[in-house]
Amino acid sequence: MGRIPASYLMNRLSTLVLTVLIAATLIWIIPRLSGLDPASAALGRMAAGGGSVANADEILAQLRSTFGLDQPLIVQYLLYIKNTLTFDFGLSTASFPTPVATMIGNALPWTLGLMMISLIITFFIGNLLGALMVWEHTPKLWKAVIPAAMVFTSIPPILSGLLLMYVFSTQLRWFPLSGPYGLNVEPGWTLEFFSSVLYHGFLPAMSIVVVTFGFWALGMRGLMITVQGEDYTTLAKAKGLRPRYILYRYMIRNAILPQITAFALKIGLLVAGQVLVERIFAYPGMGKLLYDAILTQDYPVIQGVSFVIILMTALAVFLVDLVYPFIDPRIRHGG
Amino acid sequence: MTILDFKNVSIDFPTSKGVVHAVTDISLSVPEGRRIGFIGESGSGKTTTALAAMRMLAKPGFVSQGEIHLNSLGKTDILNLTDEEMRRVRLRKISYIPQGAMNSLNPVMRIENQIWDGIIAHEGAVTDVELKRRSDVALNGVGLDPEIVGPLYPHELSGGMKQRVCIAIGVCLDPDLIIADEPTSALDVITQRHVMQTLRDVQAKIGAGLILIGHDMGLMAQSVDDIAVLKKGELVEFGPVRQIIETPQHPYTQELISSVPLVGGESFLDPAPATPAEGFKTEDGTPLLELRNVTKRYGSVTALHPMSFTLDGEVPKIISIVGQSGSGKSTMGSLMLGFNAPTEGEVLFKGRDINRQSPDEALTFRKEVQAVFQDPYACFNPFYRVNHTLKFPFERFGLSKGADHTTEAMEEACRAVGLAPETVLGRYPHQLSGGQRQRLIVARALMLSPKLLIADEPVSMVDASLRATILKNIHDLKDRHGISIIYITHDLATAYHVSDYVMVLYKGHVVEAGPPHDVIGDPQHTYTQLLISSIPWPDLDRDWGSPDDARSALEGLSELEGQQEAILRGTIPGFKLA
Repeated sequence: MGRIPASYLMNRLSTLVLTVLIAATLIWIIPRLSGLDPASAALGRMAAGGGSVANADEILAQLRSTFGLDQPLIVQYLLYIKNTLTFDFGLSTASFPTPVATMIGNALPWTLGLMMISLIITFFIGNLLGALMVWEHTPKLWKAVIPAAMVFTSIPPILSGLLLMYVFSTQLRWFPLSGPYGLNVEPGWTLEFFSSVLYHGFLPAMSIVVVTFGFWALGMRGLMITVQGEDYTTLAKAKGLRPRYILYRYMIRNAILPQITAFALKIGLLVAGQVLVERIFAYPGMGKLLYDAILTQDYPVIQGVSFVIILMTALAVFLVDLVYPFIDPRIRHGG
Repeated sequence: MTILDFKNVSIDFPTSKGVVHAVTDISLSVPEGRRIGFIGESGSGKTTTALAAMRMLAKPGFVSQGEIHLNSLGKTDILNLTDEEMRRVRLRKISYIPQGAMNSLNPVMRIENQIWDGIIAHEGAVTDVELKRRSDVALNGVGLDPEIVGPLYPHELSGGMKQRVCIAIGVCLDPDLIIADEPTSALDVITQRHVMQTLRDVQAKIGAGLILIGHDMGLMAQSVDDIAVLKKGELVEFGPVRQIIETPQHPYTQELISSVPLVGGESFLDPAPATPAEGFKTEDGTPLLELRNVTKRYGSVTALHPMSFTLDGEVPKIISIVGQSGSGKSTMGSLMLGFNAPTEGEVLFKGRDINRQSPDEALTFRKEVQAVFQDPYACFNPFYRVNHTLKFPFERFGLSKGADHTTEAMEEACRAVGLAPETVLGRYPHQLSGGQRQRLIVARALMLSPKLLIADEPVSMVDASLRATILKNIHDLKDRHGISIIYITHDLATAYHVSDYVMVLYKGHVVEAGPPHDVIGDPQHTYTQLLISSIPWPDLDRDWGSPDDARSALEGLSELEGQQEAILRGTIPGFKLA
């Protein structure tokens, strides 16, 4: 405990860098195994757009040199690594010549906002409900209702999205149908803009919360049952501590530890996570960006998005490694 | 003046298979400042009765009849209190010291916080300075330095320290009554004596009553004033400790007391050794088991320092390895079973290094060397009937001459360990008692006609009255079936009776070795002497020492580091310790 030793930090950091490097390499190799030529694909799109293309070979060669595809593989690779590490993912082939970094930069905040908020809400609701399923002082009604609510977990998020949309947008007209914010709102650091974002983000977030809280609740339930049987819980009761205090400081405090690791792993997944939810709510996040890129074989975007996902996961795991010893004194930095 | 009165208390557990009467019509009073021992085997209702006084029965148990009066309350029957009133009784009036010393403290809270939260729960807002003062007093009272121990987390303490923290928590509000549920069962004897003396000391200081729950007659004799003997939920005998120990009236009490093995006392084994079974052949010249400079290190920790011995198979014998937890005795067991390879040196079975065997040799080795482990619950696959456990190795090693022969062999093995085949075979493990299961494990080993049996704490989880029976079964393996046995235990009294040779291990060194009557009957090494003087004997005239003795014994251990020279006390034919 106490300060984080430098050796431990270096160790974790090198693991982080290595993970990211290996992942970046894989991302580079996999599309090249497909045998498709992105330059031809781009030319094909130009042809489709403009009817016919004159001096196609020349343009093809020019495209190849623009994309750097005329270089030897090793040069391509090293260049790619250098660029990736500086967040230069090149230009989108589908929305040529928009830089991929710009596209990701535009999409990432939406996803992070939407997904982080829904993940955090889910994490709290799910774990609390899971804990309440086990706690002996939970009102009987709650104990009956919570397991029934688990039914939602079996609904795919796309259906829950459509259902919420139908009920709250189409029928009740409480919430807007789609988009990240109101059409007549100017983006900026204004209260109006923020409230519009929250208003628009509510349904997509809820559609995720409703279907994923069960994951946390069921996991928590299992952990709580174990903790409930621990001797320290018995002793806490024998000490005459107040039931709520026991619930929070003895039971949840211990049961939550493995869930925090799971939370970190989910952060990475969530960037790409709810592709379909973003799609149906026309939410301009990473999921939608990835979805569109796959449809148009936009390799630079796919690579860029994949890299960001991996980077997020690796960073989240890194952070948990650093933070864990502070929440569980049995784990020590170093060793 | 009594503190607590149980009046005709019965406790029921409604289950799907009908109501289990865990406790039937118990009446008992705990006078002020007096120590009462509840003794009985598992399932006797001793813990259930005590927990009823705290209204902490495991679900679905409930007090079906009777009254429990806590006399310092206004309305005294605790069964009529509201949940909130009951919460206020816990710790302030009746405190509880739990059994599992290892897991009784919240792993993510500092020790002092776990004392403070109890005080706050009963007294509301207390200043930080006052809290600190109170926890300092409580920790000092159990011999722990509050400045060092207070800010630590539970995993940073030893088992004995954790249990003393639990005692500190239990006495910090000066309760009327302390209920201690086997508070030392997870501790070694030297630590046990210190913890028990601490508990007696603080209990006497605050003048509280004490209910000590346990199964160890010796510990009871040394710790309490009165003993209540429980059997199957009934109070069979209650009286002053001297009367219970010296002139027990009830046959069950007599049985409990006579089943405690004593060093130097009468043997619980047949005095005349049984004759070897027919067809028993002695081995040729090669030693059965040989250890050559075997060393085991885990990282930088040396679990076992170089050890060499040879055991020949000519005359079967029982070699005991005794020591406390961490002494390296179980490491030795797993090395001899080939589960672990030694860091240095070699383990030979019939002249072959067991870690360099061909697959065929390894199979023969597995058949000829059998094991009995501590936990009779974990040894069975719960999804199979016990027959499977008995049958599987027998058939796999090609010993079976058909289904009838297998059944015959199983029945014979069951009878050999004193089980009626029809009552155990064909049942699932959970339908059998711990004692039955452990005997089946012995039977399973016997079916394979091994040459060597390694028994690692085979009776430590079995009720006292069954220990003797199981040890007798194991002893019979030697006499009737010609099997040599390595008996690994922390219990010197049983080692004294069953073994032909004893090795005392301390921190991976043999400190004393020789025939049991010398080593245990008249120990020479400081460590062996410490061990033996720390054992609580069910003999009131045998002094267990003062709290100071207990503390100095614990401290004396650290001074032992220097003198690791083994004291060898005579030899027996066929076994040579180098």
